[in-house]
Amino acid sequence: MSATMAPTGDDLQQIAEQVWASYLDTDGEKPLVPLPPDKLSRDVVAGVAVSGAWHGLVLVACSSTASKEAAAALLGMGADEVSEGDVDDALGELANVIGGNVKSLLPEPCTLGLPEVHNDADNDPWLTGDEICRFEATWMGEPMEVSVLEKPQGGETE
Amino acid sequence: MKILIADDSRVMRQIVTRTLRQAGYDGHELIEAEDGAQLVQKANEESPDLVLSDWNMPNMTGIEALRALRASGNNTPFGFVTSEGTQEMRDTASAGGAIFLIAKPFTAEMFKEQLDPILG
Repeated sequence: MSATMAPTGDDLQQIAEQVWASYLDTDGEKPLVPLPPDKLSRDVVAGVAVSGAWHGLVLVACSSTASKEAAAALLGMGADEVSEGDVDDALGELANVIGGNVKSLLPEPCTLGLPEVHNDADNDPWLTGDEICRFEATWMGEPMEVSVLEKPQGGETE
Repeated sequence: MKILIADDSRVMRQIVTRTLRQAGYDGHELIEAEDGAQLVQKANEESPDLVLSDWNMPNMTGIEALRALRASGNNTPFGFVTSEGTQEMRDTASAGGAIFLIAKPFTAEMFKEQLDPILG
Protein backbone atom coordinates (compact mmCIF):
# COMPACT_ATOMS: atom_id res chain seq x y z
CA MET A 1 0.00 0.00 0.00
CA SER A 2 1.29 3.45 -0.83
CA ALA A 3 1.77 5.89 1.99
CA THR A 4 -0.64 8.35 0.41
CA MET A 5 -3.48 5.81 0.53
CA ALA A 6 -2.98 4.54 4.05
CA PRO A 7 -5.41 5.66 6.74
CA THR A 8 -3.77 6.88 9.94
CA GLY A 9 -4.67 6.89 13.59
CA ASP A 10 -5.63 10.55 13.20
CA ASP A 11 -8.04 9.58 10.40
CA LEU A 12 -9.62 6.96 12.64
CA GLN A 13 -9.94 9.48 15.47
CA GLN A 14 -11.64 12.00 13.20
CA ILE A 15 -14.07 9.42 11.82
CA ALA A 16 -14.83 7.97 15.25
CA GLU A 17 -15.46 11.41 16.73
CA GLN A 18 -17.89 12.21 13.90
CA VAL A 19 -19.74 8.95 14.52
CA TRP A 20 -19.89 9.60 18.24
CA ALA A 21 -21.09 13.17 17.77
CA SER A 22 -23.84 11.99 15.42
CA TYR A 23 -25.07 8.89 17.23
CA LEU A 24 -23.59 8.26 20.67
CA ASP A 25 -22.89 11.70 22.10
CA THR A 26 -25.54 13.86 20.50
CA ASP A 27 -25.94 16.03 23.61
CA GLY A 28 -22.22 16.30 24.36
CA GLU A 29 -22.50 14.47 27.66
CA LYS A 30 -20.83 11.18 26.67
CA PRO A 31 -17.75 12.21 24.67
CA LEU A 32 -15.25 9.81 23.21
CA VAL A 33 -12.09 10.85 25.04
CA PRO A 34 -8.97 10.38 22.90
CA LEU A 35 -6.90 9.04 25.78
CA PRO A 36 -5.71 5.45 25.81
CA PRO A 37 -7.58 3.51 28.47
CA ASP A 38 -5.74 2.03 31.42
CA LYS A 39 -6.35 -1.39 30.00
CA LEU A 40 -7.56 -2.44 26.55
CA SER A 41 -10.50 -4.79 26.30
CA ARG A 42 -11.62 -6.82 23.35
CA ASP A 43 -14.67 -8.47 24.89
CA VAL A 44 -16.62 -7.56 21.78
CA VAL A 45 -15.05 -7.01 18.37
CA ALA A 46 -17.11 -5.89 15.40
CA GLY A 47 -15.60 -5.67 11.96
CA VAL A 48 -16.21 -5.21 8.29
CA ALA A 49 -14.05 -6.78 5.62
CA VAL A 50 -12.76 -4.71 2.74
CA SER A 51 -11.83 -6.52 -0.44
CA GLY A 52 -10.75 -5.52 -3.91
CA ALA A 53 -7.74 -3.35 -4.60
CA TRP A 54 -7.02 -3.62 -0.89
CA HIS A 55 -7.80 -6.46 1.50
CA GLY A 56 -8.32 -6.12 5.21
CA LEU A 57 -10.58 -5.35 8.11
CA VAL A 58 -11.88 -2.30 9.91
CA LEU A 59 -12.52 -3.18 13.54
CA VAL A 60 -14.24 -1.68 16.55
CA ALA A 61 -13.36 -3.34 19.86
CA CYS A 62 -14.54 -2.57 23.34
CA SER A 63 -15.45 -3.96 26.72
CA SER A 64 -18.70 -5.76 27.32
CA THR A 65 -19.91 -2.82 29.41
CA ALA A 66 -19.11 -0.32 26.65
CA SER A 67 -20.85 -2.48 24.05
CA LYS A 68 -24.05 -2.52 26.12
CA GLU A 69 -23.84 1.24 26.71
CA ALA A 70 -23.38 1.79 22.98
CA ALA A 71 -26.38 -0.35 22.10
CA ALA A 72 -28.44 1.41 24.76
CA ALA A 73 -27.46 4.85 23.48
CA LEU A 74 -28.20 3.95 19.87
CA LEU A 75 -31.53 2.34 20.68
CA GLY A 76 -32.60 4.89 23.27
CA MET A 77 -33.01 2.41 26.11
CA GLY A 78 -31.26 1.42 29.32
CA ALA A 79 -28.06 -0.64 29.25
CA ASP A 80 -29.80 -3.30 31.35
CA GLU A 81 -32.52 -3.60 28.73
CA VAL A 82 -30.42 -4.42 25.67
CA SER A 83 -30.21 -7.97 24.35
CA GLU A 84 -27.19 -9.75 22.91
CA GLY A 85 -28.73 -9.22 19.49
CA ASP A 86 -28.99 -5.48 20.16
CA VAL A 87 -25.30 -5.37 21.10
CA ASP A 88 -24.27 -7.25 17.96
CA ASP A 89 -26.43 -5.00 15.79
CA ALA A 90 -25.14 -1.81 17.42
CA LEU A 91 -21.44 -2.69 17.33
CA GLY A 92 -21.79 -4.08 13.83
CA GLU A 93 -23.36 -0.85 12.66
CA LEU A 94 -20.62 1.22 14.29
CA ALA A 95 -18.04 -0.89 12.43
CA ASN A 96 -20.05 -0.52 9.23
CA VAL A 97 -20.24 3.28 9.43
CA ILE A 98 -16.58 3.66 10.43
CA GLY A 99 -15.59 1.09 7.80
CA GLY A 100 -17.46 2.93 5.08
CA ASN A 101 -15.59 6.11 5.91
CA VAL A 102 -12.23 4.34 6.15
CA LYS A 103 -12.89 2.74 2.76
CA SER A 104 -12.87 6.20 1.19
CA LEU A 105 -9.21 6.45 2.25
CA LEU A 106 -8.24 3.13 0.65
CA PRO A 107 -7.31 2.30 -2.94
CA GLU A 108 -10.24 1.83 -5.31
CA PRO A 109 -12.08 -0.21 -6.30
CA CYS A 110 -12.98 -1.93 -3.03
CA THR A 111 -16.10 -3.56 -1.68
CA LEU A 112 -17.29 -3.41 1.91
CA GLY A 113 -18.62 -6.62 3.42
CA LEU A 114 -21.47 -6.97 5.86
CA PRO A 115 -20.51 -6.43 9.52
CA GLU A 116 -19.59 -9.35 11.74
CA VAL A 117 -19.35 -9.44 15.53
CA HIS A 118 -16.87 -11.73 17.28
CA ASN A 119 -16.62 -12.43 20.98
CA ASP A 120 -13.44 -14.47 21.21
CA ALA A 121 -10.96 -12.13 19.58
CA ASP A 122 -7.82 -13.81 20.84
CA ASN A 123 -8.62 -17.10 19.12
CA ASP A 124 -10.35 -15.93 15.98
CA PRO A 125 -8.55 -16.42 12.66
CA TRP A 126 -10.86 -13.86 10.99
CA LEU A 127 -9.35 -11.14 13.17
CA THR A 128 -5.79 -11.55 11.99
CA GLY A 129 -3.75 -9.23 9.80
CA ASP A 130 -1.08 -6.56 9.82
CA GLU A 131 -2.23 -3.57 11.81
CA ILE A 132 -1.94 -0.35 9.81
CA CYS A 133 -3.33 2.08 12.33
CA ARG A 134 -5.21 2.25 15.59
CA PHE A 135 -7.13 4.76 17.64
CA GLU A 136 -7.55 4.06 21.33
CA ALA A 137 -10.00 5.99 23.43
CA THR A 138 -12.00 5.96 26.61
CA TRP A 139 -15.77 6.19 26.53
CA MET A 140 -17.83 6.37 29.70
CA GLY A 141 -14.73 5.14 31.56
CA GLU A 142 -14.51 2.07 29.34
CA PRO A 143 -11.92 1.13 26.68
CA MET A 144 -12.84 1.68 23.04
CA GLU A 145 -10.58 0.91 20.10
CA VAL A 146 -10.77 1.35 16.34
CA SER A 147 -8.18 -0.30 14.14
CA VAL A 148 -7.44 -1.23 10.54
CA LEU A 149 -5.78 -4.54 9.67
CA GLU A 150 -4.37 -5.30 6.26
CA LYS A 151 -4.41 -8.87 4.99
CA PRO A 152 -1.91 -10.08 2.41
CA GLN A 153 -3.42 -9.80 -1.05
CA GLY A 154 -5.35 -12.94 -1.80
CA GLY A 155 -5.79 -13.56 1.92
CA GLU A 156 -9.10 -14.64 3.32
CA THR A 157 -11.27 -11.66 4.28
CA GLU A 158 -14.76 -13.06 3.92
CA MET B 1 -46.86 10.62 3.42
CA LYS B 2 -45.57 7.09 3.75
CA ILE B 3 -41.81 6.53 4.04
CA LEU B 4 -40.18 3.12 3.66
CA ILE B 5 -36.93 2.74 5.63
CA ALA B 6 -34.78 -0.17 4.45
CA ASP B 7 -31.74 -1.25 6.46
CA ASP B 8 -30.63 -4.64 7.75
CA SER B 9 -29.68 -3.01 11.05
CA ARG B 10 -32.57 -2.39 13.45
CA VAL B 11 -30.32 0.10 15.22
CA MET B 12 -29.87 2.11 12.04
CA ARG B 13 -33.58 1.96 11.16
CA GLN B 14 -34.23 3.44 14.59
CA ILE B 15 -31.57 6.13 14.12
CA VAL B 16 -33.09 7.07 10.76
CA THR B 17 -36.53 7.24 12.37
CA ARG B 18 -35.17 9.44 15.17
CA THR B 19 -33.36 11.67 12.71
CA LEU B 20 -36.51 12.13 10.63
CA ARG B 21 -38.26 13.31 13.79
CA GLN B 22 -35.36 15.62 14.70
CA ALA B 23 -35.48 17.05 11.19
CA GLY B 24 -39.10 17.97 11.76
CA TYR B 25 -40.80 15.25 9.76
CA ASP B 26 -43.35 14.22 12.34
CA GLY B 27 -46.64 12.70 11.37
CA HIS B 28 -45.46 10.66 8.42
CA GLU B 29 -46.26 6.96 8.30
CA LEU B 30 -43.04 4.94 8.58
CA ILE B 31 -42.70 1.36 7.38
CA GLU B 32 -39.56 -0.79 7.45
CA ALA B 33 -37.74 -3.40 5.39
CA GLU B 34 -34.87 -5.57 6.63
CA ASP B 35 -33.18 -6.26 3.30
CA GLY B 36 -33.35 -5.40 -0.37
CA ALA B 37 -35.80 -8.14 -1.31
CA GLN B 38 -38.22 -6.97 1.37
CA LEU B 39 -37.72 -3.41 0.17
CA VAL B 40 -38.91 -4.34 -3.33
CA GLN B 41 -41.84 -6.28 -1.94
CA LYS B 42 -43.02 -3.46 0.35
CA ALA B 43 -42.38 -0.76 -2.24
CA ASN B 44 -44.73 -2.61 -4.58
CA GLU B 45 -47.34 -3.67 -2.02
CA GLU B 46 -47.54 -0.55 0.15
CA SER B 47 -46.84 2.21 -2.37
CA PRO B 48 -44.66 4.45 -0.19
CA ASP B 49 -44.09 8.06 -1.23
CA LEU B 50 -40.36 7.82 -0.51
CA VAL B 51 -37.80 5.06 0.04
CA LEU B 52 -34.75 5.63 2.28
CA SER B 53 -32.41 2.70 1.77
CA ASP B 54 -29.09 1.38 2.97
CA TRP B 55 -26.76 0.23 0.20
CA ASN B 56 -25.12 -2.87 1.63
CA MET B 57 -27.81 -5.35 2.68
CA PRO B 58 -28.21 -9.14 2.54
CA ASN B 59 -30.42 -10.90 -0.01
CA MET B 60 -30.46 -7.90 -2.34
CA THR B 61 -28.39 -4.75 -2.06
CA GLY B 62 -29.99 -1.33 -2.12
CA ILE B 63 -28.80 -0.57 -5.65
CA GLU B 64 -30.08 -3.94 -6.87
CA ALA B 65 -33.43 -3.21 -5.27
CA LEU B 66 -33.56 0.22 -6.89
CA ARG B 67 -32.77 -1.26 -10.29
CA ALA B 68 -35.43 -3.94 -9.80
CA LEU B 69 -38.02 -1.32 -8.95
CA ARG B 70 -37.18 0.84 -11.94
CA ALA B 71 -37.10 -2.18 -14.27
CA SER B 72 -40.62 -3.07 -13.17
CA GLY B 73 -41.86 0.47 -13.76
CA ASN B 74 -41.94 1.49 -10.09
CA ASN B 75 -40.67 5.09 -9.94
CA THR B 76 -41.07 5.77 -6.21
CA PRO B 77 -38.68 8.54 -5.14
CA PHE B 78 -35.61 6.75 -3.74
CA GLY B 79 -32.65 7.97 -1.68
CA PHE B 80 -29.72 6.12 -0.17
CA VAL B 81 -28.62 6.44 3.46
CA THR B 82 -25.36 4.55 3.54
CA SER B 83 -21.95 4.38 5.17
CA GLU B 84 -20.15 4.97 1.89
CA GLY B 85 -20.26 8.29 0.11
CA THR B 86 -17.62 8.07 -2.59
CA GLN B 87 -18.20 9.89 -5.87
CA GLU B 88 -18.28 6.54 -7.65
CA MET B 89 -21.17 5.39 -5.46
CA ARG B 90 -22.98 8.70 -5.84
CA ASP B 91 -22.66 8.36 -9.63
CA THR B 92 -23.88 4.76 -9.52
CA ALA B 93 -26.81 5.76 -7.31
CA SER B 94 -27.75 8.63 -9.61
CA ALA B 95 -27.47 6.47 -12.72
CA GLY B 96 -29.77 3.92 -11.07
CA GLY B 97 -32.40 6.55 -10.46
CA ALA B 98 -31.73 7.66 -6.86
CA ILE B 99 -32.48 11.28 -6.01
CA PHE B 100 -29.79 11.58 -3.34
CA LEU B 101 -27.22 9.76 -1.24
CA ILE B 102 -26.81 10.70 2.42
CA ALA B 103 -23.58 9.32 3.91
CA LYS B 104 -23.39 8.03 7.46
CA PRO B 105 -22.79 9.49 9.95
CA PHE B 106 -25.54 11.98 9.11
CA THR B 107 -27.25 14.82 10.91
CA ALA B 108 -30.82 16.09 10.96
CA GLU B 109 -29.64 19.06 8.90
CA MET B 110 -28.40 16.71 6.18
CA PHE B 111 -31.80 15.03 6.13
CA LYS B 112 -33.60 18.38 5.88
CA GLU B 113 -31.41 19.48 2.99
CA GLN B 114 -32.28 16.40 0.95
CA LEU B 115 -35.83 15.72 2.09
CA ASP B 116 -37.39 19.19 2.21
CA PRO B 117 -37.86 19.27 -1.58
CA ILE B 118 -39.74 15.97 -1.35
CA LEU B 119 -41.56 16.12 1.98
CA GLY B 120 -41.84 19.87 2.33
